[in-house]
This record gives sequence, C-alpha cells and structure tokens, in this order.
Amino acid sequence: MTLSVLMPVFALMTSLLASVVLFALPEKGHRLRTIINLAAAILKIALVGVMIWGVAQGREYEAAFTMVPGVEFVLRADALSMLFAGLSALLWLLTTIYAVGYLEDSPNRSRFFGFFSLCVASTMGIALAGNLFTFFLFYEMLTLSTYPLVVHRGTTKALRAGRNYIIYTLTGGAVLLFAIAWLHGLVGDLRFQEGGYFSDIDPSMQGPLTIIFVLMIVGLGVKAALVPFHGWLPQAMVAPAPVSALLHAVAVVKAGAFGIIRVVFEIYGLEAAKDMGLLAGLSVVAAFTIIYGSTRALYQVDLKRRLAFSTVSQVSYIVLGLCLFGPVGVAGGLVHLVHQGIMKITLFFCAGNYAETLGVHRIDELDGAGKRMPGTSVAFTLGAFGMIGAPPLAGFITKWTMGSGALAVGMDWVVAVLVISSLLNAAYFLPILHRLWFAEQCEPWPHERRWGRLETSAWLLWPPLITAALMLVAGLIANLPFSPLSWAELIVAREVAL
Amino acid sequence: MFASNLLLLLVIILPLASLLLALRPDWQQAYRYCLPLLPLPALLAGLTLGPDASLELPGLLLGGRWGLDELRQVFLVLTATLWLVAGVFAVGYLKVHYLRRFCVFWALTLAGNLGLVMAQDIASFYSFFALMTFAGYGLVVHEGTGEANHAGRVYLTMAVVGEMAILSGLLMAAQQAGSGLLADLPAAVAEADRRWLIMLLLLSGFGVKAGLPLLHFWLPLAHPVAPTPASAVLSGAMIKAGLLGWLVTLPFGEVSLPGWGNALVILGAVGSLGGAVLGVRQRRPKTVLAYSSISQMGLMTLMVGAALANTEYAGPLFAVMALYVLHHGLAKGSLFLSTAMALPAGRGGQWLLWLLIALPGLSLAGLPFTSGAASKLAMKELLKPGNFEFAMAPYLPMLMSAGAVATMLLVWRFLWVQRAAASVGSNPAFMCLGWGLATAGSLVLFWWLPWPGAVPNKAWLATMVHEAWSLFWPILAATVIAALAWRSVKQR
Repeated sequence: MTLSVLMPVFALMTSLLASVVLFALPEKGHRLRTIINLAAAILKIALVGVMIWGVAQGREYEAAFTMVPGVEFVLRADALSMLFAGLSALLWLLTTIYAVGYLEDSPNRSRFFGFFSLCVASTMGIALAGNLFTFFLFYEMLTLSTYPLVVHRGTTKALRAGRNYIIYTLTGGAVLLFAIAWLHGLVGDLRFQEGGYFSDIDPSMQGPLTIIFVLMIVGLGVKAALVPFHGWLPQAMVAPAPVSALLHAVAVVKAGAFGIIRVVFEIYGLEAAKDMGLLAGLSVVAAFTIIYGSTRALYQVDLKRRLAFSTVSQVSYIVLGLCLFGPVGVAGGLVHLVHQGIMKITLFFCAGNYAETLGVHRIDELDGAGKRMPGTSVAFTLGAFGMIGAPPLAGFITKWTMGSGALAVGMDWVVAVLVISSLLNAAYFLPILHRLWFAEQCEPWPHERRWGRLETSAWLLWPPLITAALMLVAGLIANLPFSPLSWAELIVAREVAL
Repeated sequence: MFASNLLLLLVIILPLASLLLALRPDWQQAYRYCLPLLPLPALLAGLTLGPDASLELPGLLLGGRWGLDELRQVFLVLTATLWLVAGVFAVGYLKVHYLRRFCVFWALTLAGNLGLVMAQDIASFYSFFALMTFAGYGLVVHEGTGEANHAGRVYLTMAVVGEMAILSGLLMAAQQAGSGLLADLPAAVAEADRRWLIMLLLLSGFGVKAGLPLLHFWLPLAHPVAPTPASAVLSGAMIKAGLLGWLVTLPFGEVSLPGWGNALVILGAVGSLGGAVLGVRQRRPKTVLAYSSISQMGLMTLMVGAALANTEYAGPLFAVMALYVLHHGLAKGSLFLSTAMALPAGRGGQWLLWLLIALPGLSLAGLPFTSGAASKLAMKELLKPGNFEFAMAPYLPMLMSAGAVATMLLVWRFLWVQRAAASVGSNPAFMCLGWGLATAGSLVLFWWLPWPGAVPNKAWLATMVHEAWSLFWPILAATVIAALAWRSVKQR
C-alpha cells in the first residue's frame, strides 16, 4: 500500500473515526469532544491540502477494490474532487468551531457532533467517489446522517421538516439508484472519466440515455434544490444554524450540484450532453430556478427563510455554468461551487448570531443591529454584496466569468438571467443592510444575551469574520494560482477537452 | 519606479487602512481629523507622477493594472483636491452623531472614487465604481430623516440598475475585445456587431451617475440631503465618474458616429436648459445647485456628442472636457460648501463673503478671467460649426450661449435662496479653511494645476480681453432677466 492509495482513505476515515469516537463520548465530556472535533478537522484540512498540492503537480491518488464482480468501490482524488473536498474540509473546521459555540449548554451534543462528523465523512466520500456506485453510497449516507441534524431540536416543526426532507431525498435517491442501475445494465460499471463515455454513441442508444440523464438530474436535482424539487430546503431551515450552514453551503445542496457536474462531465461528457440536446433543457431548468428562487426570497420575512430561497437560486448558477459548454463559462459554474459555499455559510453564521445573541429571527427586527453587533453585520454585509455579485467579491468573479462564457458561446440570454438575478438579489439584500446600518433600533431585542466585551461569543464571531475575509480574498486574488477560479480553470483544462 | 508604484498603491491603501480607526468607538475623534489626509497620496500622485505611470497587479481580480494618462491625471487631481477640501470642511462640520459610521463611508467612497480614476483594467474599474456607488449610499442617507431615506432609496435603485447596464455593456465589450484592459475597449466597441447595444448600455449605465436627462431623477434628491461636505464631493467629483466612464469605454477616435452625436447633443441641450428651468423653481440652495450640476453635465454631454460625431476632434475635445471637469468640479465644490457657511455680523464681512460665494458661480457662467471663461473659450474654439458636419453642429454655439444664460440664471436663483437661508454667526475654523481652500482652488489654483496638454493654448489673457463681450453678454442677459423676475415678485 503506497501513500497515494492511503491518502483518500485517510481523508475519509478522519471524520468517520471522529464520528464513532464522538458517539461514544459521554455527554459531559465537553472539552474532550471539542478537542477531538477540532483535531479531526485540522488533520483533514492537512490531508486534503497535501492532496491538492499533489493533484496540482499531476499526481494521482486512488484506492479501489471490487465489492461484487462488476461493481467496484473507488476512492479517487482528481482536480474536480479536490474542489469539493477542499471546500468542505475548510468549512467543516469553521462550522465545527461555530457549532461548539452555538450548542453551548444545549442537550444531546454527543449525538449532534457524531452525526455532524458522519455527515462530513459522507461529503468527503461524495467528493472522492470514483464511480457512480460509490457516489451513490455516500449520497445516501449523507441523507441518513443529516436527518438527525435537521430534527435535532425535536420540536413538532422540526420533525415535520425532517419528515419532508427525508421523503424528498429518499425519493430522489431511489430515482437516482434506478437510473444508475439502468445505466449499469446498458454499459456496465462506469468510472468517472475525463471527457465522459458517450462522445460517439450509437443513435439507437440515444433514447434510453436521454431518459437516464433526465432521471439522474431528477435524483440529483432534489438535493441541488432545482425547481420543482426544492420544497424541502426552505422548511429545513428550522434546523440549528450550523446545520443550515452545512446544508446550504457545504454538504447537501452541493452534493447534488457536484453529482450533476460528475454526470455531465465524466459520464456523458460535455460535448455529448450538448449534442444530445440535454444541456439545453438543463439550462432552462437552471435559469428558471435562479429567477424563481430569487423571486420567492423577496417575499420572505424570516431571515433564514429568505436565505434558504436565495440558496435555491444561487446553487443553480453552478448548473447553469455547466450548460455554457465553453471553457470560460464552465469554469464560472465550477468556481461558484466554492464561492457560493463561502458566501452562504457567512450569511447563515450571521443569521445564527442574530438569533442566538439578540433573539432576532425576522428581518424587520434587525433595525439598528449593526450598531449592537458590528462584526457580525460587517460579515453579513460582505456576504450580501457577494451574493449580489458586487465586485471585488467572490460572487462578482462568478458572474463575470459566467457572463463572458455565455457571450463566448452565443448564449446571450444567460447574461440577462444573471442581470435579473442580481437585481433581485439587490432587492432582497439591500433593504436588510439598510436596516442593519441606517435604521434606529425602536424596540428592545427580543431575547438578548451578553458576552462581556465582545458583541457575541468569540466562537460565534470568528467563523463568519473568517469566511467573509475568505470571500473577499477569493475575489481579490482570483488570478493567482490556487485561487478558486484558477483551480476551476485547471479542472476545465484537464477535464474538458473543448 | 518603486516610489511611483508605492504612491499609486497608497492612493487606495491609505483610505482603506483608515478603516482600522473605526475598530474602537473612542478613536472616532481621531478618525475625524484624519479625513483630510486620506486623499493626499492621490493628490501627490496626480501632481508629481507623469502621465505614463502604471502599476501592474497581475494577481488582482482578473489581472489588475492601475496608472495614469493625460486624462486621468486631470481627473485625479480634481477628485483628490475636492475630497481634500471637503475633508477639511467635514472636520469642522460633522457632529458626534454617528460620526464613526460617516467616516467609514467617507473613506470607502473616497477610495472608490480615486480608484476608478486610476484603474486601467475593467475589473478594478468596475470594482471601484461599485464601491463608490454603494458606499455613497451611506453618505446620502446619513442624516436619517425620512427625506434622506427616500432619496437614498431612489439613488440606490437607479444606481443598481445603472450598475447592471454597465456590467452588461462591459461584458459585451470585453468579450469583443478579448482583453481585460479598458484601453482595448473603444476599438472593440467600434467594430462590434451590436455596437448600438453596447453603446446604449454604457451610455445609460454611466449616464445615471452623470445625471443624463431622464436618468437624473435621483440626483436633485440625493445631492442636497447628504451632509454638506458629502454634497460637495457628490456633485463635484462623483458625478464626473460617469463622464469618465463614457470617455474610457466609448469608441472615441475610432469611428465617426454622427447619429450618436446628434442624439447626445440633443440630450445635452435638454439637460443643460431643462436643468436650469427646473432649477430656478427650487427653494433650497443645495437643490438649485444640484440642478445646476445637471445643467453643467448637459454641456459636457454636448461635447461628448460632438466628440463621438467626429473622430478628428475627439482628442482635442477630451482635453477641453478635462479642463471643464476641473473647472466645474472646483467651482461646484466651493458653492456647495458655501451653503453651510454662516454670515459674519459686520456689513463689510458680509459683502466680502457674498462676493466670495458668488465668484465661483460667476465663474460657472463664464465671467472673464475666471476658470469658466478659460474652459468656455477652449470649448468655443473647438465647437465652431465649420469643424463638424453632423446635423446638430450648426446649433452648438447657440446652445453654448443659451447654456451660459441658463447657468447665470441658476446662479442668481442660488444667491437669492441662499440669502434667505443663511444665518448669522461664526463658523468653525475647519469649515472656513475647507471652504476657503475650495474657493481659492476655483479662483486661483485652477490656473496652476496641471492642465491637459492638448488644450489649444494657455495665452488666455489677450484672448479674454478680445472675447470679453461674447463672454459677458450672457451674464448680462441673465442678470436683466433675474432683476425683472425679482421686481415682479417684489411688486406682488
């Protein structure tokens, strides 16, 4: 066994083992639990960091064995998996820090952190999965490990949201499984491969392959919250803030979007998917989702619900980017996987801070919050501007790259979609910013807690500040190597021979 | 080389670093006194660096490049000077109420305004432009009144729509150019299949900032409600960012576009005369001044139209526009600051103050031996009917004269309502200093500041004596009209 085989296994095992240990820990072992959590998260960042460096140098990491004849279990680190793994490893650490502060003194922390780690392990598995079968395995594991997190509070509302979540995602999973099995029956076990498999396909196969593609997109689209499969997401925001952050930025919706990327790039191949007319349909769905999510977000009065609909909209940027089938546009979609993650996690951290510190959940209660919580509000402001796509933040890089890519391939209407979406984003974020900074506080905060000198607990304050800074940096240095944009361009250069 | 790079970096880094002073509430007084320092590197850069200073920042955004050229140098000097005098004024003007917040938005808006002048790549330019726009909102709504919030909402709505038009236009132009540098855009736009669409997007997007007629609605609302030093930079410097946006992106000197020229000359005339018609009906000094800015930007739009119509004259017209920008910015800054000045008790002092308040106004109208006269003569020299052939060209001299009459009427209206609004008392020293510097800038420093090299000639004295009557009659005409109007009001 060489190191190149072991690395992906280690990366997966850190959170898996951490999860087992955390389940076993007694409820009171707060300090030990925190140490284990943070140690595992830091170790994972180191492992992923090494692999990112290696992949950049052209090294390959792969571990594979045969489960039953014809079905392989494959873990593999390539440029694409590192995009997702890097994002989730980094944000896992920050979310863990945040969750430690957020769940201070609340019951069932062992259970929470156990499933939390399991969820991150699944995400890592999804990122590293080397074929559809392995991908599906972790995809379902993610569903099962997030359910306890969604219903963590145990309220009726949480349980209802959880039930809804599980119905949506398990149904989606079943559809996906059906599609994978069908494909397996047609062409056998397919590893993810650069350029895909179906570039010169028998015309007779086109019918079934089209249906399989649609089924796969449906199965993955549930998690990616493509309209009309997005219903679970706004409800699931009853979960504690760190879980929402994880759901919206790192794990669940991203798993769906990442799956779509894999299927389009490495099973069908971009060129084939385009020639079969599959991308055209997908782009319409994505564009509709972008506009629909933003429009719905406008009408929400609950802060987290508004953010949830914003996620519906923003994740489809990634999907729309893929449909631009040129190197620039595709890079724009890929990079949004990272950009949307950092921006949205910032916003959810901040929403959690307002809720935990001031007891504020509704947008109209935020008047004057900037004065009381300047750090959180600065982070929120940056996050909101990022979402609008204001330069020089990460969101602008996405928008500019996607817009250029769309024009390059003659899909000018995409620019219109981006502009409309930006306007809608401005319409639902800027009023919040006005309330934060320019409105006078009229009523006392609904449920205020004090933490000495700081505006809130340091565990809660630093994560959004760090992610906000990352978002700024990701935009500012987009042209340097190892920036998200450069990495996305590297992926495009390697994966898509256009 | 190193020193010039450092200076260019400092232009942006200093205002951004000043944000650190906002970290603690008890530093806010210190922050207030730092405001005048923030534009100093920019002023220094504008005055000392040559027109070919440039700084490559390959890692920034999508590949950054900052630097100066003849046009940008003038814009930078003007912008920095105005922010400097307004900053000095602000030290005396600001109250403790939300002082820290004001300083933060001031520094951010300033960084955006200076940065967009220096930026030579599209992404930096658009970033700084957006920074200025969004941070400017904080200056507009600072007072927190219902009126300010309303003005802020209109400002922000129009600004965001404008930003989107700019973004789409820049995207299409950049795609056509295959480059991230602003310098490559004009040629690419000139050759683009959808030139009309790109030009329409850029003209209207930047037109929101420049107060183009029908895109101007936010301007008379937002410029007056802001605290006075902020009004001065909004109307003196930030409004010019829209003009600069046009100058660096539209296909000047590449292809003659008489159609666009006609349209812009008509729009400019509408702005220049319409702004005056609306402005003389206002009752508040700052609102009159805001309409005067729309009117003045109309004259500049006129020149933009002429420059688009005829490639040959684009270069010389750029120089004249830069001169006009310098003149108008300084004069308008001084006028805005003067609205907050209290009159001294003594009669002699009052007369002196009124004279100093009125002079920049008279300069706007083109009084001989003022900066306005210099700019107008330079403009006249170029806009001779023989030089141009597009349909609106024969009307240019007439429009300019009408513009001068309109301007003078607005100045009289301003003095009239300012007299009613002015109080008697003493002014904080920093306010006197800031306003004094602005006025000195408009009346005296203008002649020393670096002018664009291509301005026809600097031997103004003889020309001005020669042309005195042509400069003076519009002022006289407006004064007669104003006197008649005043009498009719008095008799009623």
